[in-house]
Parts: sequence; C-alpha cells; structure tokens
Amino acid sequence: MSRRAAVQRWVLLAIVAGEVIIFGRIGTHFFTLANLLQIPRLNVELGLIALAQTAVILSGGLDLSVGSLLGLCAVVFGKLWRDGGLGPSEAAAITLGVGALCGGINALLITRGIPPLIVTLGSFSLFRGIAEGMTGGVDNFTNFPRSFLLLGQGYWGPIPAQVPVLVAAAVFFYLLVHRSALGRALSAIGYSPQGARWAGIAVGRKLAAVYVLSGLCAAAAALIYVARVGQAKADAGMGYELAAITAVVLGGTSIFGGRASVLGTVLGLLAIALLDNGLRLADRSPELAGILKGVLLLAAIGIDWRPRGGAAGRRQRGRAEEPIMRNTQLAVLVIVILAAAAIITGGNFLMYQSFSRQLAAQGRPREAGKRLTIAMMPKSKGNAYFIACQKGAAEAADELGVKLLWDGPMDSDPARQNEIVETWITRGVDVIAVSVENRGGLSTALRKARQCGIKVITWDADADRDARDFFVNQATPQGIGQALMDAAAKSMDGRGDFAIITASLTAANQNEWKKYIEQRLATAYPEIHLVDFQPCDDQQAKAFEQARTILNVHPEVKLIMAICSPAAPGAAEAVKQSGRNDVKVVGLGLPNENKPYVHEGITDAVILWNTMDLGYLTVYAADALARGTLAPGQTSLEAGRLGRMQVRGDDVLLGAPFWLTKSNIDQFDF
Amino acid sequence: MGLARYRRELGLAAVYAALLAALRIYAPGFFHEQFHGLWVAAAPVLVAAVGMTLVIVAREIDISIGSLFSVCGIVAAVAAKSGWPMPWAAAAAVGAGMVVGAVNGALVAFAGMPSIVVTLASMVILDQGLRWARQGAEVSGLPADFQWLGFSQHGGEWLLMAAALGLLVIFAAGTRWLAAGRAVYAVGCDRESARLAGLRPRRVVFGVFVLMGALAAVAALLNAIRFPHVDASAGRGLELQVIAAVVVGGTAIAGGRGTMLGTLIGVALLVSIAPALTFLHLQAQWERAIQGLIILLAVAVDGLRRGR
Repeated sequence: MSRRAAVQRWVLLAIVAGEVIIFGRIGTHFFTLANLLQIPRLNVELGLIALAQTAVILSGGLDLSVGSLLGLCAVVFGKLWRDGGLGPSEAAAITLGVGALCGGINALLITRGIPPLIVTLGSFSLFRGIAEGMTGGVDNFTNFPRSFLLLGQGYWGPIPAQVPVLVAAAVFFYLLVHRSALGRALSAIGYSPQGARWAGIAVGRKLAAVYVLSGLCAAAAALIYVARVGQAKADAGMGYELAAITAVVLGGTSIFGGRASVLGTVLGLLAIALLDNGLRLADRSPELAGILKGVLLLAAIGIDWRPRGGAAGRRQRGRAEEPIMRNTQLAVLVIVILAAAAIITGGNFLMYQSFSRQLAAQGRPREAGKRLTIAMMPKSKGNAYFIACQKGAAEAADELGVKLLWDGPMDSDPARQNEIVETWITRGVDVIAVSVENRGGLSTALRKARQCGIKVITWDADADRDARDFFVNQATPQGIGQALMDAAAKSMDGRGDFAIITASLTAANQNEWKKYIEQRLATAYPEIHLVDFQPCDDQQAKAFEQARTILNVHPEVKLIMAICSPAAPGAAEAVKQSGRNDVKVVGLGLPNENKPYVHEGITDAVILWNTMDLGYLTVYAADALARGTLAPGQTSLEAGRLGRMQVRGDDVLLGAPFWLTKSNIDQFDF
Repeated sequence: MGLARYRRELGLAAVYAALLAALRIYAPGFFHEQFHGLWVAAAPVLVAAVGMTLVIVAREIDISIGSLFSVCGIVAAVAAKSGWPMPWAAAAAVGAGMVVGAVNGALVAFAGMPSIVVTLASMVILDQGLRWARQGAEVSGLPADFQWLGFSQHGGEWLLMAAALGLLVIFAAGTRWLAAGRAVYAVGCDRESARLAGLRPRRVVFGVFVLMGALAAVAALLNAIRFPHVDASAGRGLELQVIAAVVVGGTAIAGGRGTMLGTLIGVALLVSIAPALTFLHLQAQWERAIQGLIILLAVAVDGLRRGR
C-alpha cells in the first residue's frame, strides 16, 4: 500500500469522524443504537454492489450494469414466485443463478477484449430493458410471504437481519482482494493485462470470475432490496452503479485498476451514508448531501492525484506503487476498530442519556406549549401539484405554530419514500403525513411508525387502512371517474375514439379512477371507445411524446384524457404542435399550467380540487390528531380558514372537486 | 482505401435503411408526422453526441452532460423569465456550459485526474445542486419569444434541425481538415507521441471539454425552445444515451478513432427504436432492451473484427 493511499485513508477517516461529531451535535437522535444500526441496514444493497465493484475496478474494469441487473433480478424473483409458483427459497436460488449468468454475459464479451465500460453500458440498457419488457414497465410484485420479508425487515435482537450479510460480504471481499491469489492476479491484471499474461496468469478466467461475482452480488442485493421494500418493480436499483463507483473511488481504489482497498470502500460507504442520514436527521436538505458527496469525491481523488498528470504520470504510477507500509495498514485497521468501539460506547452512553430524558419526559404530561413536529411527504417534490400542496401546508403550519418537515423523493420512487419514513421514525416526529406511491411497499413502514407511537395520516393517496389513523381524501374516486368521463363525452358529442394518458401504471389513484371511467363508459356511452392507455411517469415531457405518438398511431382519436396533473399541459402542447384543431384535451390539472391551452380552445376543461387547501387541511388534521382533538368516531374537524370540514369514518373530506373552464380559470392562481 | 475505411458507417447505414424500409412497408403512417417529429426530438441529442464524439476520440469520457443539460436549460429559462432578451439568455446558458466544461477540463488535463471520476463528481454536484436550488420545479410562464425563439412552430422546427445538422457538418469538417481537429485524434491515439510531435495534449484535452460543455448547453437550448416550459430533469439519462449512440456509431472508446457521420447514424438508429416499435404494433416496453442489444451487437462486431 502506497503512502498516498494511506494519506487518503486517513483523510477519509477524518471525514467520517468529523461527520459523526457534527451530526452527533446537530442531528436529532443521531447517536442512538437504533439509528447507528439503521444506517447499515439501508445500505446493505449498495454495499454488496460496491464491494463487488471494488474487485472489478481492481482488475482495471468497471461494471455499469449492476444497478440494472438488480432491477432485473428483482423482477425475475417476483415473476418466479408469483407466476412460476415457486417457493421463495427456490425462486431466490434461481435468481442468484440468473445474476451469475448475466455477469457471465458481460464476462464473455469483456474477455474477448472489448472495453468493460462499453460492454456494461450495453448490458446496462439490456438488463433494465428486459426487466421493463417482462413487466411492461408497470407490473409490480408485492405481498411476499412474511418469512421472506424477514430478510429485509426482521431483526435479530437489535440487529437488522440483513446487516450480517453485509459484514460477511465485507470480510469475504477483504480476504479475496488482499489475501488471496485471485486478488493478487486481479491487481496484476489491473496494472497491465499483457504483463499479467506473460507472468502466467490466466487473464480471461480471472476476469470472468470477477464479473460473475459482481452479477451474483447484484442478485443478492436484489433479494435483500425486495425483502426490505416489500415490492419488486423494474426500476429497482436505478442509479446504484454510479453510487457504488463513488463509494469505491472515495475509498482510495484507483479507477485505473491495480490498487484497491476493501476497507476504504467500507469507509467510503460509511462517509456517504452518514451524510445522507445525518443531514436528514438535522432537518437539512438531503440534496445538500448529494452536493457534498460530489465535493468529497473530488477532494479525495485530488489528494490521491495531485502530483500526477498525463500519460507519463500514469505509466510511472505502476512502478511507484510498491506494496510497502504494512504498518500503516495495520495502524489504520486498529484506529478504525478503536473508532468504531468509541462510537458504539459513545452511542450507548448518549442513548442511555436520551432514554433517561425520555423517561423523565414521559413522567409528566405533555405541556400545552410544546411545538409539534409534522413530517409531510409528497409522491414527488418537483411536481407542480405537490408544490401547490406544500404552499398550503406551510400556511397552515404557520397559523398553528407547528414545525413542518417537507421531504420526499424527487421523482416518484417508492423505495425512497420508505427510507424517508424510516429516518423520520428515528428522528422522532409527532405526525407523519404521506401521499403514498405504492401501497404495499410503504404500509409496512407506516405500521412500524405507528408502533413507535407516531400518528400517521395519509393524504392524496391512501395506504392500507390499518397502516394509518386517518386519510385526508380530496374526492371520491367514483366522483372523479364519472365526472371525467362525462366531460369527455360532452366534448366528443357522445361518439368517437379517445385515449388516456395516466401517471404510472402502478399509481393507485389513477387506476381507481380508470375503473370508474370504464364503468361509466360501458353503461352510459356505447358509441365511445377507449383505444389507448399510456403512462407518462408524471412527467410533462413524456406526456408530450406519448400524446404525439398517440395522435400519429391513432389519427382517428378525437380526445385525449389526461388523468394526472403533468399530463394535461403536456398533451395539450402536443395537440397544439400537431396542428390538429379537431382534437380536444380534458383531464385533471392545475389552473396555471393549463390557462393558455384553455384559452386557446385546445383544452376544454380540467377538473381539480384545490390542492393548496389539500395541503392546508392535511396539516390541520395532523395537528388535531396529535393533540387528540381528532379521534375515531368524530364527524367534523375545525380547519382554520376552511371552516368546519366533514369527517366520514376515517376519511377527512376536502369537498367536491370543481371544473375549470374558459369562464372561471382566471380566478385561480396556483 | 476509399469506402473500406467507412465500413462501419456503411454497415450502420444499411441497418438504418432496412429499418426505414420495414417501416415504409408495414407502417407508412410513420413517415407522415412521426419521422419529422422524431428528427426534431433527436436534434438536441445529436448536438450533445457531436461533443461526446470529440471527448471519446480524445480518449476521455464525460458523464456529467445529462446534469449539465438540465442545468443549462434552467439557466436559459430563468434568465429569459427575469426579462433578459433571448440572445443574452442563450449566451448565459452557453457560458454556464463552458464554465462547467472548463472546470472539468482543467481537473482532467492540468490536475491529471481521471475524467470518469471528475465528471462523475460534477454530475452529482450539478444534479443535486439543481435539485437543491429548484426543488425539481419546472420553469413556466416564459416570455413569448422563448418557445421556437419567437418563430412560428414550423420555422422553429426547421431552425432546430438546421442548427443541429449545421453543427454536425462544421465539426465533421473541422475534425477532418483542421489541424486542431487532427490534434484531437493524435492525442487520443497516444498522448506521449502527440506531445513529442509538438502538440500540447493538455490544452487539447482542456479545449475538448470546454467544447463539450458549450455543445451540451446548445443542445439544452435546442431542447428547451420546443416547449413553453422548461423541465428541471430534462437531461436525465442523456449521458448514457449519448455515449451509446457515439459508440454504436463506431467511435472507439480507447480513443483516436471515430467519425461524426457514424455518430449521426448512431443517433438516428437509437432514437428511432421506440416510435418504430409503436408503429409496428410491437410492445414499446422492449425499447431499452433492444437498445442494449444493438450496443452489444455493435461492440461484439468490433471485437470479432479486431480478433481476426
């Protein structure tokens, strides 16, 4: 191990220590045993992939296909279990085989001398593509047996079930990379494949082993991912390849091969994971974690690469890298163990402290003046619909004097929603209010929150009924479905073809509405036909492309019904650009986005409830629930400027939606 | 000599022609509207691919362009919305692209850091920075001269395609006949030989990254003016799509070899797959799998030929 690598390791260690100290001070409940175990739990999948990637990069290669392979393996597992009728263990075994096989495909091409970057770029598309093809991009496997889910959600005492897997994998890769003949051979290949061949190493076979291993790890990660999130969908593991490479390179492994450090990879993972977790617990923006990650990466590499440059530098590096400095390695190891011990001791001490504080707090009743914390999560933060909700929520939080945490995935991502809820449970909030992307996946996490004494509200889209206390319901699915179909029929004069653009094919709300749209269609409008039904992933640009393709494939379509808010302006723009003034759009959408199209006569009408009021009402309901003024059996709720709102069963009702047309759309501004 | 050196381009062109012929027979509707629309949508990808061809020929890689693409689109939109005239807004976007390209280039060329790591870091920083700043929100309510630069839709579409093809031709000619263009190939083939031949490899690499940044910004502009609003995640996944198109187009990832013509056909082929599938009434969900298969086939052919 070279001196520079050692310096880099020390710096990384200092960074990790710094993070621990800083977040220990500013993060809520950062230093609890539960949280310190939660961090590895959420990173087992990434860890497995990063460990395998360390070996791949050691050999001078790169595997970009691992994230996609995780998705493929998740889908294969789901398919085998649900449609193939296999038990979870058999399905898991076959899935691992598929992972190894896919790694083998990479190996086959790479050992023929094609650059790994390109081969795995191709399989990056291929594997994800097969997963999407198999499921149509929409099929979603859930309701796995309890015994299987224990792998991702169970605990052995305080230890999450999957953490030992990660520890075992780390030890395995440490031995493989630093203590085995294969590791030596890979390092030689990394420095110079040609030289390694002359030295008598079977280069092809060793490389093949490494890519198969990488595939295997991706498959194992897929199983754990499915067990943790409780669902298998084609988009699982997206972006993991780059995250894993970041961790590996941060850990001091040379991207050109020849030099790797498994310990470094573990430290790199830890540095990244701590950032995410710590910033969230400190109520800081998680995007900040992303930025810091990039800066960290540059800084770490900068230390390694400072004095070098150009091809000459690269060539010399091989010679400079002599395997000396064993003592430093040992020293680092000892320091890490000591640091870990210190962290755990410190953690226990602080946990004890916080426990005793908690016990003391429980002894006396909650003071009336205590500031409540309400954590609220949209399906995706960027969506204009949810931005309007956030405005309303912030207004209500101001009026009530409660602390509002607003966080969610940037794009619709059920796995991310799970992670955020888990972090909120650790942080400790009074109420969690979620708009649920995937019912099966998130309900488990919400039940856990309720067990921890946190009140749970769902809004906009519901979870399982036993996973939440109340649902803030914007409108009944039947009302929306019927209203949409009636408006469409009115625009079409009762006859002709139409197409629907929806959010994603797994979105619970939209599927429910579609059911009622079809029901209404069958009973009331025999001369109208639904000819196409396409998802737009809640993106306006995608809705635009979908609408344009629909108009070309089905020129006879007279109307496009857009049933999620980004789809309405996207479809209207496509109709406008196609120059077809005989095609109309109706749908669900926000006033500001749709104003121009409504005035131009492309969009006939959009239906909407007041989304700002939805956010506003949710915060009022959450506040009332936490203070005990909203309880089962109640029939109404006092909600600030909205007045007295109706409560039916465990639904808090927002009231009827309204139609926005040319005559009234200018009265609204959100 | 002669045509033999364009074997890859000819092979690809044949595949593309076969695809178009199949569409002509089985789905004549494809050529009415979709073909035109497809090229409008492909123009930004093409511009980014031109830059990526340069980068890969110089034996580097840039995976930050997807994020940079999103950032530049938003920069232009925010500038236009706050009242800047359109040329200034466009200049601001291109300037932003060049600054990022220059930072990448300086770290790669002068600090000697590996380009994949540098651009991985700048990808993460740009992407998360944009999310932090905008919270994923799009920019709408743009001035009237933003969409299609104030031209009619028809004129705007032709302008878009002309700009993309014009850039391609300029760079094709530049890499073929200009000394600066040949220097990129020389540096990509062997940095040390290039230096001994009197070139300055570091400056060449730096320049290539600055150009990449500028072209990514131009691509973002061409994409942004198609819509009355600008999406904050417009460039998601663009980097890998563009690298795939360039590699399918015959540019060697080991540097020193590749043509703009190949890149053009590579882009054309990859962007046609999804709509072609829909028109042939096949299931569109296999699009990505077919893309991957094409990439693997292209590189497998390369590998076999080299093996011979």
